[in-house]
Amino acid sequence: MVIANNLVKTFPNPDGGEKRAVDGLSFRVAEGQIYGLLGPNGAGKTTTLRMLSGLMAPTSGTASLAGYDVATQPQEVKRVLGFLTANTGLYQRLSARELLVYFSRLHGMERDAANARAEQLIAWLGIDDFSHLRCGALSTGQKQRVNIARALVADPPILVMDEPTLGLDVLSNRVILDFIKRERHAGKTIILSTHYLDEAETMCDKIGLLHDGRLVAEGDLESLRGVSGEHRLSTIFLKLIQANQPVGAAGA
Amino acid sequence: MTFTHRIRTIYVKELIDILRDRRTLIAMIVVPIVLYPLLMLGSVQAVSYQHEAMEQEALVIGVAGDRHRIMLSQLIQFDAAALASEEALLDPESSPNSSPHDSRVVRLTEAKELPAPLGDAKVQVFDSPEDLQRAIRERVVPVGLVFDGDTLVDSIERQVKVRVHADYEEPRGTTAGRRVEELLLRTNERLQDSRLHERGLPKSFLEPYTVETVDLSAPSSVLGQILPLILILMTITGAIYPAIDLTAGERERGTLESLMVCPVPVIDLIVGKFLVVTTVAIMGAALNLGSVTATVYFGGFDQVIASTGGQVPMAKMLFILVALIPFAVLMSAIMIAVCSYARTFKEAQNYVTPVILAVLIPGGIAALPATRLEGIMLVMPVGNMVLLAKELLLGAAVGPWEVVMVLLSTTLYAGAAVAVAANVFGQESVVFSDAGSLRGAFSRKMMKPSTRPTVSLSLLVTALLFPTWFFVQSALSPGLEEAAVGQLYGTAWLMPLLFVVLPVAILIYWKVEIVKTFSLRMPRGWHFAAAILIGLSAWIPAHEVNVLQRSLLGTPQTVVQSAERLVEAIKFLRPEMAILLLALSPAVCEELLFRGFLLGGLRSATGKWPAIVASAAVFGVFHFFVFRFAVTAGLGVILAYLCWQSRSILPAMVTHALHNTLGVLSVIKPEWQRWIGLPDDPDSTTEWAHLPLWLVMAGCAVLMLGLYLSSRPADPDRRPRPSADA
Repeated sequence: MVIANNLVKTFPNPDGGEKRAVDGLSFRVAEGQIYGLLGPNGAGKTTTLRMLSGLMAPTSGTASLAGYDVATQPQEVKRVLGFLTANTGLYQRLSARELLVYFSRLHGMERDAANARAEQLIAWLGIDDFSHLRCGALSTGQKQRVNIARALVADPPILVMDEPTLGLDVLSNRVILDFIKRERHAGKTIILSTHYLDEAETMCDKIGLLHDGRLVAEGDLESLRGVSGEHRLSTIFLKLIQANQPVGAAGA
Repeated sequence: MTFTHRIRTIYVKELIDILRDRRTLIAMIVVPIVLYPLLMLGSVQAVSYQHEAMEQEALVIGVAGDRHRIMLSQLIQFDAAALASEEALLDPESSPNSSPHDSRVVRLTEAKELPAPLGDAKVQVFDSPEDLQRAIRERVVPVGLVFDGDTLVDSIERQVKVRVHADYEEPRGTTAGRRVEELLLRTNERLQDSRLHERGLPKSFLEPYTVETVDLSAPSSVLGQILPLILILMTITGAIYPAIDLTAGERERGTLESLMVCPVPVIDLIVGKFLVVTTVAIMGAALNLGSVTATVYFGGFDQVIASTGGQVPMAKMLFILVALIPFAVLMSAIMIAVCSYARTFKEAQNYVTPVILAVLIPGGIAALPATRLEGIMLVMPVGNMVLLAKELLLGAAVGPWEVVMVLLSTTLYAGAAVAVAANVFGQESVVFSDAGSLRGAFSRKMMKPSTRPTVSLSLLVTALLFPTWFFVQSALSPGLEEAAVGQLYGTAWLMPLLFVVLPVAILIYWKVEIVKTFSLRMPRGWHFAAAILIGLSAWIPAHEVNVLQRSLLGTPQTVVQSAERLVEAIKFLRPEMAILLLALSPAVCEELLFRGFLLGGLRSATGKWPAIVASAAVFGVFHFFVFRFAVTAGLGVILAYLCWQSRSILPAMVTHALHNTLGVLSVIKPEWQRWIGLPDDPDSTTEWAHLPLWLVMAGCAVLMLGLYLSSRPADPDRRPRPSADA
């Protein structure tokens, strides 16, 4: 279970003013659900996900993951969280296997357990062929598979994914989307931000439309169709963004 | 996984990572192993070649007028002939009966080598002495001779004055001038010898004393001056690349995010990275040192580099490597802290350059020949390490107290730098380049109110205060003859300013709660009772430790003198003023700084005992006299414990004030010493006698009772939560 409650994040502007990147955002995601956070560039998706994962402190508001408060229990939050972004880098000079063992160890596993977990993920995500290569030598798709494996080393109940399929070919895309579905069936709580609207259409159980740091609409595809009177998510998206009527979480 | 396990995991990974990087390997291994010998061979050979060339070069000597040319030619011919015959004399086979009393032979035998004759010297004639001087200034000729008169020495009654003109600032002029001077001196000596010989007089007739200077400088003086500086440069160079790669590089490559979402405290990450940087820096320094040593040793440069032609002290190289370790630790900590601010490799490189320059200033001062390891240099960051290495290399005696002081202050600086790095590394404005400007990290508007300062803030401020306070104390400290009254007044003014006003201002800027940080709250009654008991009894074990320490290690003269001056000052002041200056003011100010600001910051990051011990160690270091370190640090532990247990600073203030007041009273009322069974001797030596056993037992018992009382939790209805408000 992930709960965001009135999250606000402001950044200082170079001119001395402030920019509200996220402005009073509230939502909740249940177990076994994929929540899609959609919005144009600069809507505050990435900032929201960073606050949820404890990488950034909210200016105000609270968030909790599996009952742990992001601000006061950051270590516990990190223990239940798998975090993945499109531009997460890998250690270029470690092999994929070494990298997975390292992150398993960082999550507190003993050496044997870490090795076993790395082998499991390597088999599972089809990394076997290149697990001995240094990450610097991998292709984009291969890297992203390793990255997913990295996010999963501790088998976390909550997954936060920031555009995980960005820039991937069809094949790698499929591997990753299949994997996300499988994780949902395993009862995990998943938050996904993406630019690919058809992807969101097929994957997400619930969608939040973010614009200027606020939720302009929230609900499953059907309810969004009802609100907007449109069928396709891309047209719903455009219509709601243009209308720019902040509905707020309470209205959903 | 425990702290050490996590650190080890991070350390091993980062070390593998950095050692697999080709750039590291080149900087660390190829440069020292290949470049060093090349540079050294090249430059040393160039210098020695040039030197030799100048020695062998046919001299051009200028004279004023033709008459002087003839006189000079004669001198040179005489000398060449004499040198030739002396060479024949030196040959043992050809001179079986050369007398050992012949001083010239002895001297030449010692010198082993005959000077090169000036037979091939050219003489250039100028019209006047003025022309000659101009020609030398314009470097037409390197050296010129001006005779006073137109004939050489022809009788005992006459002395001829000869002036040697040369540009002694210039190597060619120096060499040429020296060669001509030697020619004249040799001629002089020959004439002397022959005159004495004619009259049958011994050499001692003219020279009742022969003066010989014996140079006792270590054989490696030149090396001793230069090597520490080279080594610190190489250690810094070794630290820069990994420091950037492991901080800014991690950010640039986008791996930092995935690291930051791991359930690992940032301090663990930074400590692991810091240890890797230190390791690489030490490895680099060791390789450099090894390479220098090998080049000097196998390259046969001992003679050139060692000023007195001795051997390079191989055993000392090991010492230096050990002395380099704390330096590498400090530099790695500083580099990690600086690079943690950077978001890209380039940015980091920009930050590093001014830091290197800043480091080279104290390093350069320390490398100056006259700088000694004393006074402010003992605690000068970087400078003290360079000095320690230099003193060791030059073979100077370095006392254990100095070594301890250098190591402790370096540890304090390094600890502060690592804490700063840990604080900066995790900051979101540093982790994400799109999360606002770096200025946000320092702008007050972006700071969130907090109950306690971060460990990095309190350690950094304390670390900066340390040399400042040391400097203030040295500046205030009176000459040998004066009493220390002025110092006491100066301290009384500056201590509140530096120990209280400054930290308070910083806390206000950082929006930290003053009351919480300084633990300004009313303690329980029993904690006050404990404070009084400890305050009245702590001096007894402290005195015994002092006596024990003195009997084992002796007392440095400076400690005795400063104690005597303090006694003078106390006697000079009115009693209530002495108590105010020496007991009450330190009790308030020092407690607020060490048990408030510092302990308050430490407790937000570490557990109870690490915080107590660390704050006590810093408290001990702040008292400068390493001799007093054990006692002050011990008191620091007790005071910090008292503060921690009572969650109030007041008991510690009471204890501190009582303890110092008793010290002041023991000076004002010397008769008290008799009451407790110490010899009532007006000499200040009495303070070093053991206390009677009954008093020691009673004192320890009271102290124990006080500690027992203070161990009771501050809030009996709530379980004590030592780091709950972290």
